[in-house]
Amino acid sequence: MRFNRVTAEVIERLKEIVGEDYVLTSPEELEKYSIDEIEERYCSLPEAVVKPRTPEEIAAIMKLANEYKIPVTPRGAGTGLSGGAVPVYGGIVLSLERMNEILEIDLDNMMVTVEPGVVLADMMRAVEAHGLFYPVDVSTLESCHVGGNVAENAGGARAVKYGITGHWVYGLEMVTPTGEIVRLGGKRIKDVTGYNLVQLVVGSEGTLGIITKITFRLTVKPKYALDLLTPFESLEDAVAQVLGLLRKESSLSAIEFMDSLSIKAVEKYLNLVLPYDDCEAHLLVQVDGMEEEGVWQAAERVYEKLTAAGAKEVFVADNRLTREKIWRARRNIAEALKALHNYVSVEDIVVPRSEIPEIIRRLRRLSRTHDIEVPLYGHIGDGNLHPTPVSGDRDEETWFRDLDAFLSDMFKAVKELGGNITAEHGIGMKRRKYLPLCAGKAEIALMKAIKKAWDPNGILNPGKVFPVEGMCSS
Amino acid sequence: MRILVAVKYVPDTDEIQIDETTGTMVREGIPGIINPLDLYAVEEGLRLKERWGGEIVVLSMGPPKAEEALREALSMGADRAVLLTDRRFAGSDTWATAHTLSKAVRKLGYFDLILCGERATDGETGQVGPELGAMLDLPVITYVSQIEDLHPPHGGKRGWICCRRLTEEGYQRIGAPLPALLTVVKEINEPRLPTFQGKSRARRAEIQRLSLEDLALSAQETGLRGSPTRVVEIFYPSLVRDTVVVAEPPEKSVERIVDFLQKHELI
Repeated sequence: MRFNRVTAEVIERLKEIVGEDYVLTSPEELEKYSIDEIEERYCSLPEAVVKPRTPEEIAAIMKLANEYKIPVTPRGAGTGLSGGAVPVYGGIVLSLERMNEILEIDLDNMMVTVEPGVVLADMMRAVEAHGLFYPVDVSTLESCHVGGNVAENAGGARAVKYGITGHWVYGLEMVTPTGEIVRLGGKRIKDVTGYNLVQLVVGSEGTLGIITKITFRLTVKPKYALDLLTPFESLEDAVAQVLGLLRKESSLSAIEFMDSLSIKAVEKYLNLVLPYDDCEAHLLVQVDGMEEEGVWQAAERVYEKLTAAGAKEVFVADNRLTREKIWRARRNIAEALKALHNYVSVEDIVVPRSEIPEIIRRLRRLSRTHDIEVPLYGHIGDGNLHPTPVSGDRDEETWFRDLDAFLSDMFKAVKELGGNITAEHGIGMKRRKYLPLCAGKAEIALMKAIKKAWDPNGILNPGKVFPVEGMCSS
Repeated sequence: MRILVAVKYVPDTDEIQIDETTGTMVREGIPGIINPLDLYAVEEGLRLKERWGGEIVVLSMGPPKAEEALREALSMGADRAVLLTDRRFAGSDTWATAHTLSKAVRKLGYFDLILCGERATDGETGQVGPELGAMLDLPVITYVSQIEDLHPPHGGKRGWICCRRLTEEGYQRIGAPLPALLTVVKEINEPRLPTFQGKSRARRAEIQRLSLEDLALSAQETGLRGSPTRVVEIFYPSLVRDTVVVAEPPEKSVERIVDFLQKHELI
């Protein structure tokens, strides 16, 4: 791919568009925009960072970038895990941090319209103040931006009951790669007018457009929720029981698990102690509903089932303090592993949930044959696991060689079980060479044709999703 | 061992709002929770009971909703709960609260040990615990970070407790005869999570309620009328920062900074 450099002339024109204060070029500033939460070795410096405030400014930037053939990488809060916000070919990073207003909470239609730079938890709290609920519970909710959630189609813990980001996106305003402002969808629960472009943009990882407004559908806030933390001696017993529960209970809103390696890491990192931390697995089950009594009855049935399946104990959290204690541990596992090891790779596989016991068995086997420690945690309820191989005392070169071999084997196992290589983090720059393992030539050609039609110069977030020619992993 | 743990029901928020005209906290519309620092007192009581046997009674004063704080303590394993609730208790300052609590403790019988949290996260005074000890004429050890040694009363012999307490300079080891009152700090333990069975039991448990009459108190001794504290004015302290920017070559800058620090007797 041939792109041009950001020249002094381009900088001047960017300043004319967004104002002098919002074009950054100093090395220290550029460094902050060179990486997201992907592993550090993927970092790549931009040549300029712009912080527009309006869709019109973004449209002008895209027209300019097309004129000069300069790559543009959109960026939210930089909490992504696949390098979606990393400017692989330098060029311009377009940060949406200044577009951070909650524009409207429409109570009658139960929809909220926001700008992309709003922090997820701020939006959740704002709608909850009106008794409404945005249920997609992403681990980084206190820092991630909703624009990034839509671009990556983020999932999170409550997908088992409430689905993922895409299920709640009804309207988008977007600047196309060629600099047109378009409005897709709207506050219409039913709408089959033309192709469903909204859902094409959702999860497109910032390669098909720059989202400037989002209208999310909302639901009613459940009045009552209980979180059950359950240590098990055997992970497989735990999983088998929980899958049976899903056929009977409609109130289960999250089913998470953490294995003992993950728990030990998070205990060390947060300096806390979880009960029965030597058990092979801890399950975290959330039950929610509108009536306290109903939720308790459902929890009672879940309790019976877990106990019969060999739970060592069932702990329960029903207020902010205890809930925080349980979830803080679960949410900090990735951070803990990163802090405690030289190199880690946070993976994001998904299998049909009936295959979870089998994929766990295979991961254990692969961990042994490759001699790589693989802490395991994730979302049992929706089949999404985050195996996180860690380097131990390997040096950099050995680690990346061994990791690549492990990942290829893991992805093959995933594919055999009807799974896929990423559930909620995205392909980004991290997994693009593995895409052909799970998508056929014809499917990839369809995706490329869409990209080409929307972005003829290939300047919007290049270096993502598609494998580089000849870089295909067997 | 018979142990009493005093707990408070506080607003569940990090941002306390003060009504500037009345000088009291805005509590309307904010859900409540057991004072987080009281969990450490409950946990320490439970551990002593597990070691020595006996009974844990949790006591609170507050609106009927304060039952929630007591139920949380029950779900962790406390044996019974008592709530002092009466409209005429409303508006009590720390003195009136401690006075009312002391009447209740006397009514509830003999305790070997009374445990309190370090302070409540709403009022932030840390006074009620020590005041309660003083009114009951008990030895008081504040900021306890570890119970190092404990001898329960035995065959007519008085019990004894030895604690490590946190001070600004470090730790202090201090002993006292039982009965005694302790306030404990976070360092002392890690409060347990309630179990499902504990929570189910606590939901159904009966909580004893005591009123002004039950405590044989007069309306002058408690509530706003019994509180000597008067809030005269509420204001935000103004903080003035005089920033001096030294933008000269490094050697010169260092010299200027050293002069500045010496002038203010900081080095």
